[in-house]
Amino acid sequence: MLNYAVQRLVQAVVAIFGVLTIVFVVMHLSGDPTLLLVPQDATAEMIADLRHQLGFDRPIWVQYLDYLRGLAHLDFGTSVVQHVSALDIVLSRVPYTVALAAGALVVAIGIGIPAGILMATKRGGWLERFLTAVVVTGQSVPTFLSGIVLIFVFGVTLRWLPTSGSGDFASLIMPSIALGAVSMSTFARMTRISIIDELGKDYVRAGRARGLSLGSVVVRHVLRNAAIPVITIAALEIGNLLAGAVIIETVFAWPGIGQLAIQSIQSRDFLVVQVIVLLISFVYVLTSVLADFVYALVDPRIRMVR
Amino acid sequence: MIARFASIAAVLLALGTSTALAQSKDTLTIDLPNDAATLDPHLQWDTDSYTIYRNIFDNLLTRDAKGEIVPQIATSWKYIDDKTLEFQIRDDVAFQDGSKLTAEDVAYSVNRIIDPALKSSQLSQFDQIEKAEAVSPTVVRMTTKSAYPALLAQLVKLSIVPKAYVEKVGAEQFNLKPMGSGPYKVNRWQKGIETDLDANDNYWRGKPPFEHVVFRAVPDVSTRVADLKTGKADLIQALSADHAAALKDEPDVNVLSVPTERVGYLYLNALAGPTKDVRVRKAISYAIDRQGLIDALLQGYGTPVNIIGAPPIFGYTDKVEGYPYDPDKARELVKEAGAEGAKLEFLTSPAYNRALVEAIQQMLNDVGFDTQISSSDQATFLSRRQGDPENAGSMAFGRWSCACQDADGVIQPLFRTGSIWSKYSNPEFDKVIDDARSTLDKDRRLQDYQKAYEILNDDVPGVGLYQEYTISGASKHLKWQPTPNEALFIMDMSWQP
Repeated sequence: MLNYAVQRLVQAVVAIFGVLTIVFVVMHLSGDPTLLLVPQDATAEMIADLRHQLGFDRPIWVQYLDYLRGLAHLDFGTSVVQHVSALDIVLSRVPYTVALAAGALVVAIGIGIPAGILMATKRGGWLERFLTAVVVTGQSVPTFLSGIVLIFVFGVTLRWLPTSGSGDFASLIMPSIALGAVSMSTFARMTRISIIDELGKDYVRAGRARGLSLGSVVVRHVLRNAAIPVITIAALEIGNLLAGAVIIETVFAWPGIGQLAIQSIQSRDFLVVQVIVLLISFVYVLTSVLADFVYALVDPRIRMVR
Repeated sequence: MIARFASIAAVLLALGTSTALAQSKDTLTIDLPNDAATLDPHLQWDTDSYTIYRNIFDNLLTRDAKGEIVPQIATSWKYIDDKTLEFQIRDDVAFQDGSKLTAEDVAYSVNRIIDPALKSSQLSQFDQIEKAEAVSPTVVRMTTKSAYPALLAQLVKLSIVPKAYVEKVGAEQFNLKPMGSGPYKVNRWQKGIETDLDANDNYWRGKPPFEHVVFRAVPDVSTRVADLKTGKADLIQALSADHAAALKDEPDVNVLSVPTERVGYLYLNALAGPTKDVRVRKAISYAIDRQGLIDALLQGYGTPVNIIGAPPIFGYTDKVEGYPYDPDKARELVKEAGAEGAKLEFLTSPAYNRALVEAIQQMLNDVGFDTQISSSDQATFLSRRQGDPENAGSMAFGRWSCACQDADGVIQPLFRTGSIWSKYSNPEFDKVIDDARSTLDKDRRLQDYQKAYEILNDDVPGVGLYQEYTISGASKHLKWQPTPNEALFIMDMSWQP
């Protein structure tokens, strides 16, 4: 188990380092922020001066080594656009992203898993058809559209919820639903498939033969066994929810790291982008490692093998 | 982890209180596409930063409703010689911490922004100034590298910062906790989210109209519109023409609009590719239906122009004939130049109105060209547009304003030989605009620009399309008239319940 953990950790560090390097190279190859920073009447000399002041005229490998040196001292650098620490900028947005991801996960799991269970156990009925329609809608309506529709219906027409902002709990509701809808569909489909899969197995027939109702077989035995693939999905979805909220955050003016990422990429604010990449790859790696440990908790067979 | 949850709770709590404030009458809420990048007025000057910090600081000079340069911190000025200018400074202005604003602060503000070590992105606007010095507590003397007629127009954009405070707290803290002499002081700056300002009750020009002002960052224009309709915002900026048209029927909302000094134009590459032939460039000019573009795509928010320049700039002329929409003539010229089916590369980026670019593409293809759009991100677009002529495409759409209301800030950077934007070279043109730049004689400058625009009309290194309008949406109760230089001063606003 310890060996395994160390191995996973080394893999994780290599993966994060690789992502960091690729992003660094790609961002720098596609130009630097100098042209976006200067006023339009700047002359070529002034642009060259500013580029020199900012250090973007050095060879890319020198900039890279310089960046790694800073990283080794936990110095993530200063934003060329905002003139403050890149780490501080990103960290100030993290609580918003976590709040939104948590809200979306509540929507996704709270609706997705029960819907999946019902779709698996009440097959062929009107309920399944209705839920299938909901799931397909959640999956296929793009978030920029669902976001605007929600704002128009509940914000502008009914005036139940605030149209934008990050002011209070009420302003978290619409973005959570819009963001959670896609994940909700994923959860519902995964839950449905893996329960149907389990329902065909012998232990279910044995349970039914002993006189247990379908409901209690599902609750007592099937759910536990069907949980493994759902946990895997959950781990991936957490990563997606943290990183993939770019459009939702823009539509609802929710100040999370997705919105920050897109703004920083547009303004070529390299160091801020790097911190975000570092954070997101860290979260991805962390959730997939955690998922492995949760498997072991849920399923003793996995525990035994290792 | 606990700290993280605590900070989430803090965020939710803090935001709860801020919405409560926003609902009360003494708070004006303004939606901008982005938050300020910096509040140190000597660093960034993107529209949103500029909009916010100009309410925290005073400027040396300003423009009145008619667009004339008038005193603000300076009461008067006189030229000692062509390169030396003396400003008389008000002696009744205090910074928000109570300290007095003196000539020292003004000189410091100029010298700070022209010091390359500050890495200011505004340097190019002030780099003609050699130095500034305080001659007495109320007199500042500025020396320019050569006679520089646009100096006053540039100084309209100079924010005065407090020397003692900046030196005491350092540049980094000054950016986070800026302090000026303007009508509003920073209460709380939640970077990237909103900037909360409180009125400076001791402001020397009188009591500011609102006790609190909140600038919110709302990137999506549809969301800004929803905020305005529901009263979450009282003023929204950067509205598209389509949204403005949709807002016109709303009962509680006004669409505020004004023709600005910004001009929509097409640059044509006179140094490389098919557009090297002047007949091709003339054909392009004839092929574009400006009024059609304005009516169909800008919902009427624009006025056609014959030159690359709009009426509010010094040097504007309506005496240049231009090229009226005449597709037949365009086709003739294409044939004459043997350019039927010539491939024209139209550079653009997401920063520009895609519909407009495609409409122009269609108009050019109608007269016989094969126009292809190359879209890239803004940084790549700029590096091609400003780079080597061979790689700069055939044309690009642009929206130009120097915020200085002077032709010097428009055609000098766009078309002077050697400028990064220029893909054109004509020594005669260079001579007249250089002359206009080095004299303080207004009549001579006007004559020079008249001549310059005539040369541009003959050579067509660019096509003027339309004068752009600003479009804002506001609550019916807000009284405010936007200005041609796109400034947003809260002091110019008032509220009528």
